[in-house]
Amino acid sequence: MKLHEFVVRRLLLLIPVMIGVAIFTFAIAHIIPGDPAALQCGDKCGVIVDYTEDGDPISAYEASRIRLKMDDPVRVQFWRYITDLAEGDWGESLLYHRPVIDVVKDAAPITLEMSFLALFIAYPLGIMMGIISAVRQDRMFDHVSRFFAIAFVSLPIFWFAMMLQLFLATGSVDTPGICDPVTGWLPLIPDTEGGCFPIYGRHDTSFTYPVDGYAWYYPAGGTGFHLVDSWFVTDEKLATLPSEWGSNWLLFKDTLKHLALPCAALGIASAGSLLRYMRSSLLEVLHEDYVRTARAKGLSEIRVVIVHACRNALVPIVTILGFSIGGAIGGAVLTETVFAINGMGRVAVTSIQYLDFAVIMGVTLITSVIFLLSNLIVDITYAIIDPRVRLE
Amino acid sequence: MRGWDEGKGERDESRRRLREALSQSKSDLSRSWKIYRRSLLAILGLFMVVSVSLVAIFADDIAVEHPYRNLQDTEDKWSIDYEPRKARPFSEECDWHEQKITTNPNSPLFSEIVVAESDDKVGDDNRYYRDTLTVIRLIKLDDSLGYDLNLSLLSIDPSNSSLLVLSPELYGNESLYGGVWLTYEFDNEEMHHWWLPDGHDVCIFGTNDQGHDLFSKVVYGARVSLKIGITVATLTVIIGTIVGSISGYFGGRVDEFIMRICDIFFAVPGLILAMAFVAAMNQITSLTIPVWLGILFPIFVLAAFSNSYLNSTVPDDDQISDQAMSLIMQYRGHLLALVGFFFFVGLIPGAAWSDFFGISEGRSWRAFAALGIIAVLGAIVLADRRFFLNTSFEGGLGRIRDSFDWTNPWRYLTFRTLAVFVSLALLFSFSGNEGEEMVLIKDFDRLWKVQAALIFTGWPGYARLIRGQVLYVKEMTFVEAARSVGARPGRIMFRHILPNAWAPLLVAFTLDIGGTILSASGLSFLGLGADSYTAEWGLMISESRRYFLLYPHLMLYPGLAIAVTVLGFNLLGDGIRDVVDPKNRR
Repeated sequence: MKLHEFVVRRLLLLIPVMIGVAIFTFAIAHIIPGDPAALQCGDKCGVIVDYTEDGDPISAYEASRIRLKMDDPVRVQFWRYITDLAEGDWGESLLYHRPVIDVVKDAAPITLEMSFLALFIAYPLGIMMGIISAVRQDRMFDHVSRFFAIAFVSLPIFWFAMMLQLFLATGSVDTPGICDPVTGWLPLIPDTEGGCFPIYGRHDTSFTYPVDGYAWYYPAGGTGFHLVDSWFVTDEKLATLPSEWGSNWLLFKDTLKHLALPCAALGIASAGSLLRYMRSSLLEVLHEDYVRTARAKGLSEIRVVIVHACRNALVPIVTILGFSIGGAIGGAVLTETVFAINGMGRVAVTSIQYLDFAVIMGVTLITSVIFLLSNLIVDITYAIIDPRVRLE
Repeated sequence: MRGWDEGKGERDESRRRLREALSQSKSDLSRSWKIYRRSLLAILGLFMVVSVSLVAIFADDIAVEHPYRNLQDTEDKWSIDYEPRKARPFSEECDWHEQKITTNPNSPLFSEIVVAESDDKVGDDNRYYRDTLTVIRLIKLDDSLGYDLNLSLLSIDPSNSSLLVLSPELYGNESLYGGVWLTYEFDNEEMHHWWLPDGHDVCIFGTNDQGHDLFSKVVYGARVSLKIGITVATLTVIIGTIVGSISGYFGGRVDEFIMRICDIFFAVPGLILAMAFVAAMNQITSLTIPVWLGILFPIFVLAAFSNSYLNSTVPDDDQISDQAMSLIMQYRGHLLALVGFFFFVGLIPGAAWSDFFGISEGRSWRAFAALGIIAVLGAIVLADRRFFLNTSFEGGLGRIRDSFDWTNPWRYLTFRTLAVFVSLALLFSFSGNEGEEMVLIKDFDRLWKVQAALIFTGWPGYARLIRGQVLYVKEMTFVEAARSVGARPGRIMFRHILPNAWAPLLVAFTLDIGGTILSASGLSFLGLGADSYTAEWGLMISESRRYFLLYPHLMLYPGLAIAVTVLGFNLLGDGIRDVVDPKNRR
């Protein structure tokens, strides 16, 4: 199979899955008890808002039902849902009073930024530790790192996140944290407020000048990834703030500091599992003949491991990337709840708590799209790296 | 019928084989243990799992406080407002109690001597009662606005330390007529001391904002978590194995279809899916299936099992039974229609299934009515001799049939007795339910919803795992050999393929218990899991979130408990992997 055939095949396979996910979300949103119309009109359901041509009164509740077209048969509703999806109309959120697509558009970059940064940290860390662990097999380092790898996988994310907050985040007035500049340890990035990392949020809101702190500077039309956006903010008042490396550095540093703890919480499990995968993958390769040949040629051990063995050991690791993206988005639900970040996970939790049907469907759909696309990319990459896959 | 001595040799032989198999598995086990104990981490994991399990089993004896079970609840809930109210961690303040004292002499509740007693507690008989407390020392006296008062306004009766004597200044002061609040330390050990020796603090983990002893809650939480983990993992394994082996064995379109469904499940992050599913089940209070299904199913199972008996005991030369059979045979269609009418036309009054049972409220009547229907059905099935003569069961069913050799009196007696008992028990318990629905899970509480959601989201993983294994094993020569001698798919699957594919399943099962505990606690943390005040670790962390900067111990211990339990299962799973999968051992 040629590469482009493989890609086309994988793309075609995506279609039934996407339709299935759409059916699935539609079904779930219809099984969930609760009446969207009743939610929409709230406590004014009984109010008469209009009259039919015959003079019969129409209550706000009935009006909502008509507006949401809930009296149609389910198949009609489903077809309309699918066609609307295709046209980019994902419905209207009852909770946020905005189109769902806008809610998702705001939330998705936040989660993606966090997940990608978490994986960006977790991957090199996990792979490096995995290599060392495999090379020093059955030594002390191996045992200890394996134990910690399993321990990291076993930690409940939300609890670990809270522990990070407790130990590394800015202390409150009553209880200065460990990072307190006066009493504390760990003065990693000393800051005007004291403490290493902010305890929650995406921006510094206690910053005095504008109402909302740094959040104020981000224009609505950016990419949504604040690590990127922070470099393109032009604001004359921001420019007056004192900073060594330009005023945008302030924004960037702020974003990075806010991302640090959530990313650590999110990435730790991935790092742990990566260590284990990398270790077993490398160990398998190290027993191959060509590694022995390389050793026999008199190459240094470092060269054998890094150049000869790792190259092949890293190939299967690529496939795990797809799954870890899914895992990171799932974990983001908990991390964002702890760190009060309004990403997709938090939107999902609130929409389920408040039975915001359209948003539930939208978020489920968009997370699955992200997961499927990232898996597709991973698979294609894998097919490029390892041509044997194409032959399956 | 053959004599009672018949088959004695067979029985001895089977007993001998059983012994052999036992000793074989014993030596297998000891060999596995030898491999297992090489790894320190695996031993550590086993130790953790065993100790958590022991804690869960003996929670009643270890815990200091116990959950209060309402008559309506099935979940253990900590709803009693127990003594230690204003609690701080790690201190004797666990034994503090705050009591309101009426100081208005005009009030009917007023007296100069006040008994120190606990708040209302609910006893086993579901009534309120109060314990008399022994006061050790007075701590604080507040008026109704919260201002401190002088402690000397009030004293402990020197002869009885349960009595508090009010001084005239206290009840003579009109500004204090709103009542005062007294905080005192009481002898908590009267209630609790059977766990820790005297002199130790009882609430070693402190108490939470509700006054629940955190240690006891963590201990009881082990029960909840292990229950969730094991139930969910077992059920997902069963579902996943069935689906996966069907998918892998038959391949082709079936495989494609099942795998696409699994893809859909994989595409949505598990936690979000589980959240949505829990929300979807929000209003279900009990899991029910229709009664007729619940009774029909055991009948069909029994009919299938007793097939061979029927086969051998429908004699050709018995004229009377033959005539009766042929009569029934003749009207078989009518009878079936009649019974079907009873079952399915529930809308017509007088013939509906529930009305049929509902003629009398008596349980025995219901049971007899159901037995009558079973008899009719059995006769119909019995009559259809062609069915029995023409069908033969292969594989597992065939062996089961052979073991139920009904001409052997021993087996005949045991099996018949067993079958009668089982069917009676089933009928009694099932037909006793109200209405047309048979309750499978009576209180489909939030813990059950979490479990259902996790099963619902978890099975595709196993299905895929088992499918891969089956695909791998299917190609081996021994399967081909089995197929070439004409074994049926069911036999090949259960007898040849699955026994060779169980190793990764066992590992995944162990690891999944840990994963399930993590997910369940995550759901509880988000407020979509256990009901409030259940001793669920995730929920305890979520409840303590508000105070976690001030009282981090409230989240520390439940979190550690989760981490230790999950770590234990993960290490155990790794150890088992080393044993069952030598390829991966390095």
